[in-house]
Amino acid sequence: MGIENWKKRSVILIVDDSEMNREMLAEMLGDDYDTLEASNGEEAIAVIKANEHEIDLVLLDIVMPVMDGFQVLNKMKQYGWINFIPVIMISAEGYFSYIKKAYDLGATDYIQRPYQSYPIHRRIDNTLRLYNKQKRLLDVVEEQVYAKEKDNRMMINILGNIVEFKNGESKMHVHNIQTITRLLLQNLVKISNEYTLSDNDILQICTAAALHDIGKITIDDNILNKPGRLTPEEFEVMKTHAAAGANMLKGMPVYQEKGLVHLAYQICRWHHERYDGRGYPDGLKGDEIPIAAQVVSLADVYDALTSERCYKKAFSHEKTMEMIFDGQCGAFNPLLLECLKNVGSGIAKALDIDSKSEIDRYMIAHVAEEIVDDKISDNSAYRSKLLAAEHTKRVFFTTDIEEIQFEYDAQVGTITMSPYGAKFLGVENNVIYPHQKENDFLGEKRAELIDSLHATTPENPDIEPFSANLTYKGETREYKIIARSLWSGDKTPVYTGALVRIVDVANSEKKKL
Amino acid sequence: MTIKECYTRIGGIYENVLGRLSSDALIRKFLIKFLSDKSFSDIFESLKAGKLDEAFRAAHTLKGICQNLGFDKLCESAVEVTEALRGGTNNTTPEMLDRLKADYEMTVSAIKELD
Repeated sequence: MGIENWKKRSVILIVDDSEMNREMLAEMLGDDYDTLEASNGEEAIAVIKANEHEIDLVLLDIVMPVMDGFQVLNKMKQYGWINFIPVIMISAEGYFSYIKKAYDLGATDYIQRPYQSYPIHRRIDNTLRLYNKQKRLLDVVEEQVYAKEKDNRMMINILGNIVEFKNGESKMHVHNIQTITRLLLQNLVKISNEYTLSDNDILQICTAAALHDIGKITIDDNILNKPGRLTPEEFEVMKTHAAAGANMLKGMPVYQEKGLVHLAYQICRWHHERYDGRGYPDGLKGDEIPIAAQVVSLADVYDALTSERCYKKAFSHEKTMEMIFDGQCGAFNPLLLECLKNVGSGIAKALDIDSKSEIDRYMIAHVAEEIVDDKISDNSAYRSKLLAAEHTKRVFFTTDIEEIQFEYDAQVGTITMSPYGAKFLGVENNVIYPHQKENDFLGEKRAELIDSLHATTPENPDIEPFSANLTYKGETREYKIIARSLWSGDKTPVYTGALVRIVDVANSEKKKL
Repeated sequence: MTIKECYTRIGGIYENVLGRLSSDALIRKFLIKFLSDKSFSDIFESLKAGKLDEAFRAAHTLKGICQNLGFDKLCESAVEVTEALRGGTNNTTPEMLDRLKADYEMTVSAIKELD
């Protein structure tokens, strides 16, 4: 399967102040490629900006009014475009200094006038092939890394959740710890030079944090789930969970002195240490405590205070901050306390189900990019930047829309609701599995929706909108169901899912007025 | 006059141009277009207005076109004027400018006689 099979025609930007020159090149290339034109450097930059991800190659003249070819190269370097858009200079200038300068500024090739059309055509062809292949490979690698990271995280989270479930913790505990840990770490890197943590490091710590209490499976049920306060003896037993968890990890064949399991070890063993040295099990003091453990410790305390327990009600954010800063709930690194102060007011919002899986996906995509960048150190990973940018736009534009919207992923079988949708339907998670009975909110209309979608094609992906009377919380209202099927970009497109909008007819009429 | 005859008249090599533009129809199209190209007149207008950079660019552009279209004779005078204007200084002489004018007129009149 060659690259040419699936890619649309390449787009070449021709930059030259002479109309005749532009026309000659366009004429030569027009059969095989789509061309855009610009008559000077400034125009060229504007065109590239507007078509950043569509332009596959630039043919660039040097001598032009307003902005010359060298300045264009500079700009392209500034915007990072030079990394993934090849530039071939075409100029009547033959001076060595010009040629060298063009190459030094990042040009891929230099063609002198007058030229022969056949060799030029082939050179352009070859350059495009090379770059296309590179892009495609990079995409493939990033996809793989992303998938691997996602799967890893998912497995660990499942494990963590199982343990916490047995401990009687709220099912959001792992998620909360990870979110708060992430916020604290991101702020820490911002305000201090002491800790150089990459996004990958932060993600690793958050992932490892899921396992912080696995030691509790060694604790007797009577103590673990005792409805009242623990006696001093019982508390001593409880304390052993820190070392117990760490020992379990250390004893595993996968254990190494670095990496994810090592982080989990640190967090397990030392998340009950105190900055003043009066914690357990080892009485570590100050920065003897690894930063991962310090942060998870603080996150754990915050979550415990703001959660309801059998022996206490949930404290408010303000009361929790008061208690922590008073020193009532442990001693912490002043730097971390500052981070808590900085991010504190945003915690509640971040924990809100709405943002949950979205941030994860963005972070993982970003980390995948980081990993690939490190290994290749060529910043052409524009695809995940694209993804992230598109994602940000989508979240921004859909956050307050009072319409039930969701995306169905056919391969995984999940439904991802918009924030409003999840809230309206009272589902805690905005990612749900449609085969579970309690999520069958469309009722008998679901069959009709599925049939409509099956009738669509890649060329005509929109269904004929139909109305439905749906009942929620005892109230029956009329809705209009609008949907579009999604297809893969292959030569024989495959159905990958659908986008659905459930519009409240009465409300939308009201708004029109 | 055929295109090949035209090129003989203006002192250019037809086969080279064919290698670049691949068809007679295309060559003819651009030859006709050259008649309305402004580079030549731009040189003199810019010189008159004292805009040396623009004069240089116009000469440079004309040179490029001559190279593309195989106007070898006109190209020589265009190159001469281009280099004389490089770097923002006016080192042109009346003789070279006259040569340029003469070569241009010769080229244009030959094109006008195409079938």
